[in-house]
Amino acid sequence: MSESLLDVAAPEASDPDDQFDTRRRPGIWTALGRGKGLAGLILIGVVVALGLLAPLLAPHSPTEQIPGANLVGPSGAHWFGTDEVNRDILSRTLYGIRTDLLVVFLAVPIGAAIGILVGLVSSWWSFTDVIAQRVFDLVLAFPTLILAIALTAFVGPGLRTVFFVIVAVELPVFGRLTRTSVRTVREMPYVEAAHVIGAGSLWQLRRHVLPNSLEPLLVQLAVSMSVAVFIEGAMSFLGLGVRPPQPSLGSLIRDGVRNMYDAPYFAVGPLALVVALVLGLLLVSQALAEARRR
Amino acid sequence: MPRPPARPSLLRALVLALVSLLVVSSLAACSSAVKEASSGSEDSGPTDGGTLRIGSTNDIVPASIFTNSSDAANTLIGAVYDSLIDYPQDSLDPQPRLATSWEVAKDGLSITLQLRDDVTFHSGREFTSKDVEFSIKTWADPTWTVQLQRTAAAVTGFDTSDPHAITLSFDHPLSNIFDLLDMLPIIDSESFDQLKEGKAYVGTGPFVFTSWTPSSKLEFTRNDDYWGDEPHLDGIEVDIVSDPQAQVSQLRSGQLDLITGASNRDLETLGKDDSYTVTPFDGSVQQIYVGADLANPDLQDVKLRQAIAYALDRQRIVDDVFRGQGTPINLPWPDYSPAYDAKANETYAYDPDKAKELVSQLGSHPTIPLAYSAGNANYEAVAQIVQSDLEAVGIKTELQPVENSQFIKQLIGGTFGGLWILQHGYAHYTPSTLAVSAYPFNADKNASHFVDKQYKEDADAAWERVDGSDSGAVEIYQRLNKDLLDNLFLIEIALLHFTVASSDQVHDLGMSKRGELDLDAAYLSK
Repeated sequence: MSESLLDVAAPEASDPDDQFDTRRRPGIWTALGRGKGLAGLILIGVVVALGLLAPLLAPHSPTEQIPGANLVGPSGAHWFGTDEVNRDILSRTLYGIRTDLLVVFLAVPIGAAIGILVGLVSSWWSFTDVIAQRVFDLVLAFPTLILAIALTAFVGPGLRTVFFVIVAVELPVFGRLTRTSVRTVREMPYVEAAHVIGAGSLWQLRRHVLPNSLEPLLVQLAVSMSVAVFIEGAMSFLGLGVRPPQPSLGSLIRDGVRNMYDAPYFAVGPLALVVALVLGLLLVSQALAEARRR
Repeated sequence: MPRPPARPSLLRALVLALVSLLVVSSLAACSSAVKEASSGSEDSGPTDGGTLRIGSTNDIVPASIFTNSSDAANTLIGAVYDSLIDYPQDSLDPQPRLATSWEVAKDGLSITLQLRDDVTFHSGREFTSKDVEFSIKTWADPTWTVQLQRTAAAVTGFDTSDPHAITLSFDHPLSNIFDLLDMLPIIDSESFDQLKEGKAYVGTGPFVFTSWTPSSKLEFTRNDDYWGDEPHLDGIEVDIVSDPQAQVSQLRSGQLDLITGASNRDLETLGKDDSYTVTPFDGSVQQIYVGADLANPDLQDVKLRQAIAYALDRQRIVDDVFRGQGTPINLPWPDYSPAYDAKANETYAYDPDKAKELVSQLGSHPTIPLAYSAGNANYEAVAQIVQSDLEAVGIKTELQPVENSQFIKQLIGGTFGGLWILQHGYAHYTPSTLAVSAYPFNADKNASHFVDKQYKEDADAAWERVDGSDSGAVEIYQRLNKDLLDNLFLIEIALLHFTVASSDQVHDLGMSKRGELDLDAAYLSK
């Protein structure tokens, strides 16, 4: 999985002008304001809004067990029906979005930030590079779900484990990507010039190298966020994710599959939201990638 | 300029609708005919042949093969081994199996069993009294963590001078000796080293073990030299399908003939479909309960445990999770047990107000972990209802799903550290078996770390008797019931029946009181 992500956001030959500069490169922001970018942002926006407004929109608490409402079908009182322990599925779905948003907008950026930091440091000093690359190799050698199962064996299932897994999965992705970008950018004449006039390593990294490596990382960030939704879903589906009674989109889909024959409506809402969130993030990443190539 | 497509006229629309209706009706007729043909497997009596494919949730663990902790292991034991006697489903009246007759000494300190002389192991070796001695001694070995270890170890003398008779002597009378003889599989001593490694299981039963592929399947063939009626099936294949939902899907798709792990919700759905048969075995019962590890200081105050007992809405659990297929209980015994007491069984009827009052007397207490076996829809639903019930009276818990084999290790090792939800058996045997043998109840060592002089005395008094059902025994059981209800180291929820689902081609399934599938007479219709 991780290798293909690297392919998606493979860095291109750097050009000194190819900076992430909104004044000279309006394309990226423009891309987000039309076509795929706009559609993606709208989809993400709708899902985020539903999640943020869950306390206002949800008719019940996500953990409230309503007397006598066992696996009730969709109705005016329960739009998505109720589950096997009498909870309103709509309310759980709305609150479940929050769990996924937490994973998407917190775990992925944390993994990305650590990965970028490690990538920057490792690409600048050769001895750290060897260590970092071998660690990345080790993590990437494990398929994501195997890594998740192994980690769950140590720390037990739960949201914390989902966080750890996503951070662990994203760290080498961003580390490798940063390293590749940095190694290209550092050979540019303007970086050499900075070095010749006596600029320190950290200054060169902060002023020249990092800003010029941001674009592919931004594209990767959107892709990784969509992958994180899948990871949460897969882990919760396998019982490795969030612990009951906390809802997440993945755990709701799992519960829906359990009741597939009697209550096929159960999983429809959570599935639609996962599709919307993943599709939105992928559309944004595609729009960003296309803007870069222009 | 291309001509715009013509709008369908009313006539054309009507014709189209009629044709569609005709096509749909024809398809429906065809499909119902197909269904009739496929599901209409009219039973024309037993037929020989075929391999029964069984879906099991948990694989065998060779080191725990005798612990009754895996459905696949139970199937293996039931298929490969014979016991000395058999209990019928609805009573504790021993019936002959490898032992043809028996006589218990008046003082209850020995029993003499006459053994069949026409029985051979799957290896071809003759079955003798030495094999009974070897099997009992194996069960007495603590290495195997057999639940009836104490009872097996209480058999101290073996007279095997006659190869087809054996006299067992005891240090004290054993009211549950026939329970041991019912549960004990007769093991082949010559292949015992291979049994330890999971390479060979040699018994005298109706099926011969042929192979085990870990985490995948177990295979058995018919024992053509079986001493009893020859089985109809050519063989059995036990497929390990850890996801109960996947078992249901495989049954529906025809990949499995019988499943043991379906949730009650799925059993209810399958029961409504003529293509499947759902079979409850009324004599083989299990009890779902909340265990309390008293090593946790927060659980040591009995008032908290009483509050938990009052807070549980057992009827709702039976109705919503087990789809009405169970009975709410406070004590473990089924109604035919000599220890059954209808009034005592309602001591902790659902009373959230009383629970709140007890909790208010306790002051503040931290969140208590509540463990359950992960991946089992029934346990997960029960755990969430229990958590909600307890929260409603002011007791906070944190759910901890634990992988099943790890969960069993925690049960045997007594390492839960909080509350847990599980099922136990043995209450449908002689009551002393539960009190001196079952991991959660064993008065000597139990998963709750409950040690109590009175409970141990009562358990031993019930055990060390000649008769386990006379009026003296019933008096002791009343004391045992009081011990269980006063101390509540285990809080019973409901009594449940073993239930399996199968395709309509599977017939004459049986189940022993031990909870092992009895496939001696089972057959597959063509």
